[in-house]
Amino acid sequence: MREPLTGSQTVGPFFHYGLAWKPGEHLFPDPNTPGERITLTGTVRDGKSELVFDAFLELWQPDGAGQFGHPNQGSCAGWGRVNTNAQGVYVAQTVMPGSVQGAAPHVMVVLFARGLLKQVVTRIYFAGDARNAAEPALQSAGARAQTLIAQPDPARPGVWVWDVVLQGDHETVFFDL
Amino acid sequence: MTFRHPAAGTHPAFATPSYGSTALRAPKLAPLSLAQGPVELSGPRFDTSVLYPHHDDMTRQSTAAPLGERIIVAGQVRDENGHPVPNTLVEIWQCNAAGRYHHPRDDHDAPLDPHFNGNSRVLTDAQGHWKITTIKPGAYPWRNHPNAWRPAHIHFSVFGSSMLQRLITQMYFPGDPLLGDDPIFNSIPNDKVKERLISRFDWSLTQPEWALGYRFDIVLRGDEATPAN
Ligand SMILES: [Fe+2]
Repeated sequence: MREPLTGSQTVGPFFHYGLAWKPGEHLFPDPNTPGERITLTGTVRDGKSELVFDAFLELWQPDGAGQFGHPNQGSCAGWGRVNTNAQGVYVAQTVMPGSVQGAAPHVMVVLFARGLLKQVVTRIYFAGDARNAAEPALQSAGARAQTLIAQPDPARPGVWVWDVVLQGDHETVFFDL
Repeated sequence: MTFRHPAAGTHPAFATPSYGSTALRAPKLAPLSLAQGPVELSGPRFDTSVLYPHHDDMTRQSTAAPLGERIIVAGQVRDENGHPVPNTLVEIWQCNAAGRYHHPRDDHDAPLDPHFNGNSRVLTDAQGHWKITTIKPGAYPWRNHPNAWRPAHIHFSVFGSSMLQRLITQMYFPGDPLLGDDPIFNSIPNDKVKERLISRFDWSLTQPEWALGYRFDIVLRGDEATPAN
C-alpha cells in the first residue's frame, strides 16, 4: 500500500541560521572543474514588483562536461544555496553547464520563501545556445520562454543575469515535474 | 525512473488567502507540465563532512544547557513505496522555549537564550532513521491576523536522492490548541496528510529521568514504476 506523502509547509522568514551553508554560493569549489567559470545573478520580485529579501534559491546542475557530482570535490558539487539579500539579489558562482543526453544545457532552480507554502521549480537556459531552439521546455513555454533564459551582461564578462518574478506581469515560468 | 506526482490535496495551494504573505508571492499561472529530465532526476550527495560538533543535539551546542523542556525527536525518511531513504541530509531549525528565533529579524518580545541556537543537521542511517535531542519550542505571535499565534513547531528540510524529492515542512505537537486556527497548518487540503504533520508522543523514544520522545516520519515521492512494499 502506498503511503500519503508528507505535506509541504513554508520555510518561513527565519530560515537563515537553520539553513546556513558555506560556501553556498559556490557550486563547484574545485578550480579544476571542467567548464567555463560564470556568475549567475539576478533579482527576485513579487506581484507588486517589490524585491523579495527573504527567499533562497537552490541551484543544481552538471559540470561543463555534463557530469553530475564529483566525489573528489566534495559530495555535493554542482549544488548551491544562495539567499537573496536586502536588495532582493542573489549571486551564485558556477560553471557553464554541459549538455546531458544532447539536451540544451540548463540549471535546475528550486526557490523557497516566506509566503510560498511549497517550492517553485524552474530551469535556467543560456541565451545564444543553438540547442535552445529544439528544447521542449522552452517550446512549451511559448512567448514566456524568455523568463527561462539567462542573458550575458555586456558590462561584466562572465556574468549571466536571470531574474525571477514570482507573480504578475512577466511571471517566471515554473514547472510541474 | 519517474517520480509519481503528488496526489491532489497533498500540498497546499500557492494562493492561500488565510496566509497573508501568499497574496503577492503565489504565482498566478499554473506551473507547466514537463517531463522529468536527467538534471531533476539526480541530486547532491551529502556526507559526514557537512556535520558539525553536536549536530544532532541542540542542547549541547553551547557552554551550558538551554532553558526549556528537553525532548527527543526521531523518525524515518522513506518514500511513498515504503522504501527507506538512506544517507540523506535533514536540516532542522526552531525557536527557543520562549518562542523566539535566534534571528536578527525576529522582534518578538521574548527572551533570547544565549545557550540555544536552534539548528541541527543529521544524515539518515542505512534504514532512513534519524534522531535529535532539543528543547520543546514555544508558540509565538505573528502579524498574519489579529491575535495570531503559531502553534509550536520545528522546521524540517529534507533532500532525498533526487532534487524532485526535495521537501521543506514543519512538525507540530499533539494536543496543541493553536493547530485548529493556524493558516499554515490548515493550508494542507487533505486531513490525513495534515494529521501526519503532528508528531506522536512515543514511550519507546522517551528516556527515564531525561526527556520525552516524539516520533515524526517523513514520506517523500517515490518511483512511479516501483510497486509498494
Ligand atoms: Fe517557525
